[in-house]
Amino acid sequence: MKHTARLAGISAIAITLTGGLVATIPAQAASSNNVVNLITWVNPPAVAVLKQINAEFEKANPGYSVNYQTTADVTGGYATAQQTAVQGGTADVMGIFPFQPLPYNMTQNSLSPTQLWAVHNVFAPLSGQPWVKQFNPSIMANAAYKGKDYGLVSGVYQDGVFYNKTIFAKYHLTPPSTYNGLIHIAEVLSAHHVVPFFDGLQNVGPLYLQFITYPLLQDLWLPKVGDVNSALWSGKTKWTDPAFIKVMQREKTVMRYLEPNFTGVPWQAMPGSFADGKAAMLLDGSWDLASVVQANPHVQMGYFPFPGSNKASVNQSLLQPDLTFVVLNNSPHKAAAMKWMAFFASPKIYAQYVDATGISPSRISGSYNSVASRTLGKWFGNGVSLAKIFPQLPGSGSYYIQPKNWWELQLEMYQGKYTPQKVAQMYQSGWDQLGK
Amino acid sequence: MASLYRGRDRVQLHLGMLPGLLVYVLFGIIPSVATAVISLTNYSGIPGLPVNFVGFQNYVQAFVLDSTGLLGSIRDTLVFAVSVTVIQNALALALAWLFTKRYPGRAIFRSLVFMPAALGVTVIGLTWALIFNPSGGPAANLLAVWGGNSAFFGSDTWAMPLVIFVQIWANLGFTTIVYLAGMNTVPGELYEAAKMDGASGWRTFRSVTFPMIAASTTVNVLLAAVGSLNTYDLIYVLTDGLYHTNTLGMYMFNTAFEGSSNLGLAATINMVEFVITFVVALTLQKFLRRREEVLG
Repeated sequence: MKHTARLAGISAIAITLTGGLVATIPAQAASSNNVVNLITWVNPPAVAVLKQINAEFEKANPGYSVNYQTTADVTGGYATAQQTAVQGGTADVMGIFPFQPLPYNMTQNSLSPTQLWAVHNVFAPLSGQPWVKQFNPSIMANAAYKGKDYGLVSGVYQDGVFYNKTIFAKYHLTPPSTYNGLIHIAEVLSAHHVVPFFDGLQNVGPLYLQFITYPLLQDLWLPKVGDVNSALWSGKTKWTDPAFIKVMQREKTVMRYLEPNFTGVPWQAMPGSFADGKAAMLLDGSWDLASVVQANPHVQMGYFPFPGSNKASVNQSLLQPDLTFVVLNNSPHKAAAMKWMAFFASPKIYAQYVDATGISPSRISGSYNSVASRTLGKWFGNGVSLAKIFPQLPGSGSYYIQPKNWWELQLEMYQGKYTPQKVAQMYQSGWDQLGK
Repeated sequence: MASLYRGRDRVQLHLGMLPGLLVYVLFGIIPSVATAVISLTNYSGIPGLPVNFVGFQNYVQAFVLDSTGLLGSIRDTLVFAVSVTVIQNALALALAWLFTKRYPGRAIFRSLVFMPAALGVTVIGLTWALIFNPSGGPAANLLAVWGGNSAFFGSDTWAMPLVIFVQIWANLGFTTIVYLAGMNTVPGELYEAAKMDGASGWRTFRSVTFPMIAASTTVNVLLAAVGSLNTYDLIYVLTDGLYHTNTLGMYMFNTAFEGSSNLGLAATINMVEFVITFVVALTLQKFLRRREEVLG
C-alpha cells in the first residue's frame, strides 16, 4: 500500500513535470489581435519619442496596445532579436537598416541577413498602403525590391563634422572647405593642446571610422568612378585604384588628430564628451545631435561636411538612410501592425519623430523644427547617398572583405602594421576570390 | 544499479529520471546533434527557404578562406582559457587558504570576494568598461598620475589581459568557495601530525592540504577550463571580439548574427569549439582523476 502510494506520487510528479515541459515548448502566449510588438535598437532620442508615439497610438485606438522592446545597440544583441523575430514571429513591426543596394551577384553568401530577408518575402509589402505615396520615392527606394516598398524609411541622417563654435572663435578658425584646410585647423588646435577630433570606437569597433572613410570615398573615389558599388562589382575599378589608396593615406593622417586612445573610448560617450568641450570637432552622424544638446544645452555647435578633397565643390554632405520599419510576414498581428505604420506616417506624428531625432525627413511635405535642422542649416536633408559610395561587402568570403572585418585592417594600418598600399592589395586579393 | 533497484523501485527510479532526461535530451542532445547537422548545410534561418546539404563546404570556408579569422580565434581562445584557468585557480587556492585562518574582518573579506558571483555579466562588463574608459575613467586618471595612458579595452596590448582579469574577478568567488569547502573537510588530525613533525606552513599546504583537496581541484579546473573555452558574453560586452579577444564563442556569435546570414558556417565554428572543448575536458579529466586516485 505504502509502495503503491509512493509509486503513484512519483508518477504524478513525473507526468506533471514532463507534460508541463512538453506543453510549454510549442505554447505561444494567447494574445489579442490588437497588440503590436515593436522592436528597435537604442538610439535614446528615437526610443523616447517612439514611446510617446506608442502612447498616443494607444489613446487614439482604444483596445490597441504596443509592446515595445529595445536592445542596447544595433550590433549583436539586436541582430539576435531580429533573428528570433524572423524565425519565431516575436515581433510585428521590426526596425532594420535599409537593405539597398543589393550586391550584383546575389547569392546566400553575398547577401546580409536583412537583404536575405528582403528578397525572400520575410517582409510584408507596403505598396498599396495609402500613406506610402506621401513619402519621397528616392528615399523609400532604399527599402524597396522589384518595384515593391517593404519598409518605411524614417529618414536620412547626415554624417559630417560638428564643431564647437566657441573653440573655433577662440583660435580664429572658420569651417574649412578643403582637405588641406581641415588639416591646417587640426594642426592649429593641436599646437594649442586642443584635441581636434573626437570619435569613440570602444564596443562598436573600427566601424566608427566610417565618419572619416565614407566622406573620403565620396570626395576622392566617387568623382572618378561614378558609383563605387557598381564600379567595384562590375570590375570597372579595383581596390588598388590610386584614389582608394589616397583615401587610406588621408584616413591615416586624420586619425592622428583624434583624441588619445580613441579605440578604447565608448561610442556612447561621444556626444557628452563633445558637449563638455573635450574636442573641437565631433566626427559623427546627426542622430547624436539631440544627445549633444541634452548633455549641454549651452553648447554652440555648427556643422560642415567633412572635406575629403582639395576641390571644395565636390565635398558634399553624406546621407545615411536610417531606422526603417518593416512589417513581418509571419506577424500574428499584421492588421494592427499596418495600423501602427499608418499612424506613424501621419503628418503630425511623423513631425514629432523628426523633431525629436533630428533626422532629415523622408515625407514629401511637412514643417519641422529640430536641433539638427537648425545646426545643419542648408545641408539639412541635402547630400550624397551612402548607397553610391560604399560597396556592398559580402557576408562571407575572404576574411577582410566581410563587413565586420573590413574595418579592422584600417586600424592595423593606423598602428603601422600595414601600409595603405598593402591594405588596398589585401582588399583586392579578397575581392578577387569572390569571383572564383 | 540493477542489483540495487528491482521491480517497483526500478519503475519509480526511471519515472523520477524522466523529467530530467527529457530536459537533457531536448536542450542538450538534440541541439548538439542539430548543430553538427546544420554545419553541413547552408541553413539561413529564414522561414520557408530550402535548406541544402553542402557537404564540407562550410569547413572549407572556415579553414581555408576564413583561416585568418579561425586560426586567430583559436589562438585567442587558448590564450584566454589557459590564463583564466591557471590564474583563477592559483588565486582562489591562495584566498581559500587565507579564509581558513582566523583574523578580524574575515567574513567581510569573504563576502567581497564572493560578491561578483551575484552580478550579471552585462553589469560586470559595463562596470569595468566605465572604470577603464580612457576618456576620464578612474583607471585612466590613476594611470595619468604616473604620466601614463592606455586605450585599455581598445588596446591590442591590454584588451586581452583586461578581459582575462574581469573574467577571473567575476568567477573567483565561486572557485574560492569550492576550494574552501574542500579545505574544511581535511581532518584536523593531519594538521596536528604535520605540526608535530615540524612541517612549515608551506610544507603543510603542499603535503597535506593540496593533496587532500584533489577533488575540489578537479572540479574547479574543469569548470574554469570548459567555461572559459566557451566564453563569449563577457567579451561581447567588453570588446565585441576586437583587439585579439575574438574567442571561438565570440567568432561564432558574430558569424551567426553580424554580417553573415550563413548559420551553417556559424555551426561549423561551433563544431570546432566543441572538438577543442571535448579534447581539453577529456584530457584534463583523465589527468586530474588519475591524480586524485594517486593522492587518495
